[in-house]
Amino acid sequence: MLQLHMENQFLTESEEDEMENLQVDVIIDRVADTLVKASSTFASDQIRAYERAIARETNENAKWVLEKLIENSQIAEERSAPLCDDTGTPHVIIELGENAILPGYFLNAVEQGVAEGLRRLPARAMGVLGNEKERISQEKGLSEDPGYLAMAPVRIIRVTGDKIKVHVLMLGGGPELRGKTLRVFHKHNFDVVLDEMVAWAKEAVALLGCQPAILAFGVGRTNFEASALAVEALKDANFDEQSEIEKSITEKVSAEHIGALGLGGESSVLATFVKIGMQRASGWRVVSLRTECCVGPRKAFCEF
Amino acid sequence: MELRTPLTQEVINKLKINDQITITGKIYAGRDAALPKLMKLYKKQELEKNGIYLEGGVIFHTAVSDAGIGPTSSNKLEIEESIPLLSKAGIKIHLGKGKLTDETVRALKEEGAIFAVTPPVSALLTAKMRHKKVAAFPEEGIEALYELIIEDFPAIVAIAHGESIFDRK
Repeated sequence: MLQLHMENQFLTESEEDEMENLQVDVIIDRVADTLVKASSTFASDQIRAYERAIARETNENAKWVLEKLIENSQIAEERSAPLCDDTGTPHVIIELGENAILPGYFLNAVEQGVAEGLRRLPARAMGVLGNEKERISQEKGLSEDPGYLAMAPVRIIRVTGDKIKVHVLMLGGGPELRGKTLRVFHKHNFDVVLDEMVAWAKEAVALLGCQPAILAFGVGRTNFEASALAVEALKDANFDEQSEIEKSITEKVSAEHIGALGLGGESSVLATFVKIGMQRASGWRVVSLRTECCVGPRKAFCEF
Repeated sequence: MELRTPLTQEVINKLKINDQITITGKIYAGRDAALPKLMKLYKKQELEKNGIYLEGGVIFHTAVSDAGIGPTSSNKLEIEESIPLLSKAGIKIHLGKGKLTDETVRALKEEGAIFAVTPPVSALLTAKMRHKKVAAFPEEGIEALYELIIEDFPAIVAIAHGESIFDRK
């Protein structure tokens, strides 16, 4: 564990500055490495999920696609190269231990670490230049600096312990096109909401283009909360652990036989991850779907 | 089947949907920004003047950046719209991903071209790229038209001779 800097009565001011700079450098370096790892590595549970999918696949072309995805992950890990050339937008979730101390410079150092990681990878230089209107029309073009792509707003979650865990997720563009966040009237019946989630997923997976999909759902009280829960579901994703709800969604969508790369077969969805948050008294729930593509969820963490 | 560019019509005629192929040689890479501009050059008969030769060629629907190469969805408006005319201009294989419309399936048949798909396996595909250079439209940055030299690029024939792999159900 890195001992994060606190004011120390035995250090001179210049010694304190030197210690803070050293710690900032360590945070930047570790976060940058974490971003590279997230972008270039399949976790072992994801590789096992792909191996299980290959074993049950009956469509030869779909099996070929699944095998290529594993081969791709091996090359990416060996070379620390991007799994996909759409290297995604960095999202950071910080798990803050109840007894940890978060110094004011920490978030700035994380932000610098993300920028450094994007350059180190290197990520696709996708940051759009210009003022508000110009950024929409893209008329001023793109920055040549991969690190110009600022990370999305940081989410902080309280956990037990005295450590600070920084999760980096790289969220690609295709899943954004296929994502959806909307209220669902539940009619006081869980299955009504589940059926709607499955219907959304069937439509989104058919359009995705990079199947098998990894589905992430958040169910909350507001659009913001539901979206945050969907990303949190990806943060916690373990392909070896699937709840009954998650299994049910995977099976129902896979029954469409859209298949890997849309070529048919059994592997439309590799796994589903659902996070259901607190709810409020109302006739509706807000559901957020993120349809991750076959290289997702690109995620890794470091701990301080 | 192992294919080497430039491709003859005879080779294309032998291919059918579901065939697993590899492609070796010079190909072009372009997507939403470059392909409409490429069509304009063809209409103005200015391809050769710009050092672009499409006869027997392959166009891979991808950006080209330091992050590598990988297929983008070929059914995006500006990309799919380019397929009929660029086939007429001599392109034999359009390489990307995603289901195309019946209209495009018919146009490919009429022009004697095919559509092949490859997974978004950027690390693998980039490892098979031997050379890259901007062929046209440098102002488009990562979406410029690129000339690539590739070796054993893996793909599956998805649409050929009026048949589409996506119509299997």
